[in-house]
Amino acid sequence: MRSFRHTSFTDLLGIGLILAVAVFSLVLLVAPSIIVVIISFDTRAYVSFPPEGFTLRWYAAVFEKRELVEAMWTSLKVGLTVTVLCIVLGVPTALACVRGRFRGTTALSVFVLVPHMVPGIVLGVAVLFAGALVGVSPSIWLQSIAITVFVLAVMVRTVQSRLQRLDPALEEAAANLRATSFQSLRTVTFPLLLPAILAGAIFTFVEGFDNLSVAIFTHSFRDRPLPVELLALVQYTSTPLIAAVSGIQIVLAIAALVAVSMSIGLDTANE
Amino acid sequence: MANVTLPSVAARPGLGEFVLEKLLSGRGIWPAMPAILVLMVVAIIPFVILLSLGFSDIEVSRGAIVSRTFSLEYLTTALSDRLYWITFQRSLSLALSTTALCFLFGYPVAYLFLVGGRWTKRLILVLTIAPLLTSGIVRTYAWLVILGGRGVVNTTLINIGLIDQPLRIMNTQWAVLIGMVQIHLPVMILPLIAVMSRHDGNLIEVSQNLGASRLGTLRTVILPLSVPGIGTGSALVFTLSYTTFVVPQLLGGGNYLNAATMIYEQVVFSLEWSKGSVTSLILMVTCLVVLVSIALVSNHFTRWTRERDS
Repeated sequence: MRSFRHTSFTDLLGIGLILAVAVFSLVLLVAPSIIVVIISFDTRAYVSFPPEGFTLRWYAAVFEKRELVEAMWTSLKVGLTVTVLCIVLGVPTALACVRGRFRGTTALSVFVLVPHMVPGIVLGVAVLFAGALVGVSPSIWLQSIAITVFVLAVMVRTVQSRLQRLDPALEEAAANLRATSFQSLRTVTFPLLLPAILAGAIFTFVEGFDNLSVAIFTHSFRDRPLPVELLALVQYTSTPLIAAVSGIQIVLAIAALVAVSMSIGLDTANE
Repeated sequence: MANVTLPSVAARPGLGEFVLEKLLSGRGIWPAMPAILVLMVVAIIPFVILLSLGFSDIEVSRGAIVSRTFSLEYLTTALSDRLYWITFQRSLSLALSTTALCFLFGYPVAYLFLVGGRWTKRLILVLTIAPLLTSGIVRTYAWLVILGGRGVVNTTLINIGLIDQPLRIMNTQWAVLIGMVQIHLPVMILPLIAVMSRHDGNLIEVSQNLGASRLGTLRTVILPLSVPGIGTGSALVFTLSYTTFVVPQLLGGGNYLNAATMIYEQVVFSLEWSKGSVTSLILMVTCLVVLVSIALVSNHFTRWTRERDS
């Protein structure tokens, strides 16, 4: 059928231009990370390009800097708390949104989205002020619960879209075999949902670990989380130390990406 | 459902399972109750409190509010303050140009995803999702390295002899705009890809077999079908770039005040919580207005394409 196709010069030029911009954008996406990784091995104590020599001392320096290691632990705790809370609160909510036979299932799905649509900075300020009003001061817990509320929608949406595509015949079969709702949930539905929960868990963990907009207002001043610590460090450090932190993050991101693509595939994660 | 009335013979449930059974079999709102409660206490009520604080005079001591009285003063001063107008105007134009540029650079990537082979698709997905898994600070830091006085751009330009003195790119609005676009690009690309991969690939083939050029197919078939994705992507990029303070703080060098950095300074440094509430409220309302406009425009064009088709 190719004979019908009409190819003109302007057509080729236009498409060529679009594809050129696409390639440029893809390079733009990845180039800064590559440059930072290269910088992180520089032997000089200031950031410059191109680098000279090769050293791992900045990576060692990251783990020798007490504030950074403590901040990483704090963020790790926050990330895990957020993930656990999102699973405990989000998975049943997704079930209610999809399986619920009550009026307002749509309203429920929208309601869950509300905190996610509000700018994180506004949510952070609101939680800080509300806490101050009732005497709850910023802490690792306040930060965790605030970020949970902020990202809960991600978990609900991921599990929800998976639930909607599940074959109802599988649960009916379980019911015909006289399984209780709980049994069919545990032995049939839950295993089928596991990949979606895992993908949701990875994204909520990353948000808990990395979130700055909510965290900057709600974090404990004694246990500063990594993004808050990094924001201060970036402004007052001139050595490639931050580049090494970036390098570590990039490696972790690639690991997370591999985990997601192995659990549900990148195409599904995107939906 | 028959299974509810049948006695369970498979296993005798314990008390915990019995409670779970009651909660889960009702198909009611119960499973969502904990989440609803938490959202009420940690999001909805705080929003209401924020709203009320914008209309009151607050005294803050040691991170707690000691007294407050009703006052419209902060709202009226904010609305008549020139600094507010300038700051919000700047944030708005910065966010809108970021959104437009993200679309210009992002759409071609989504098009490449649509027409590309399996490995091209995979590469695009990896390159767009991976940055989202690293922190925004780290990604902004990369631009400090690139645009700084001894950064990549300046050393390259000096080495090839184009300039003698390093250009001052850092701490200008251009640095902020470049950083904003690159950092928010993945957020534009992903919804576009999601919408495009949902449509039947045969449509493109049919269009081209009917004699349409590739550009014509892009304009009359692909672009109209991707309107919802453009809407979602623009809404996300706008919200993020309108309310971020990392990029302006780091690449603008402290003298670049946008709405978000303004809130940060009022709340964390000068402890002017009434002002902070008012600024947050203005930020939220203006953000909402733009989001609703984006939704209306995107709906209008979606409907328009559907009506024209039928």
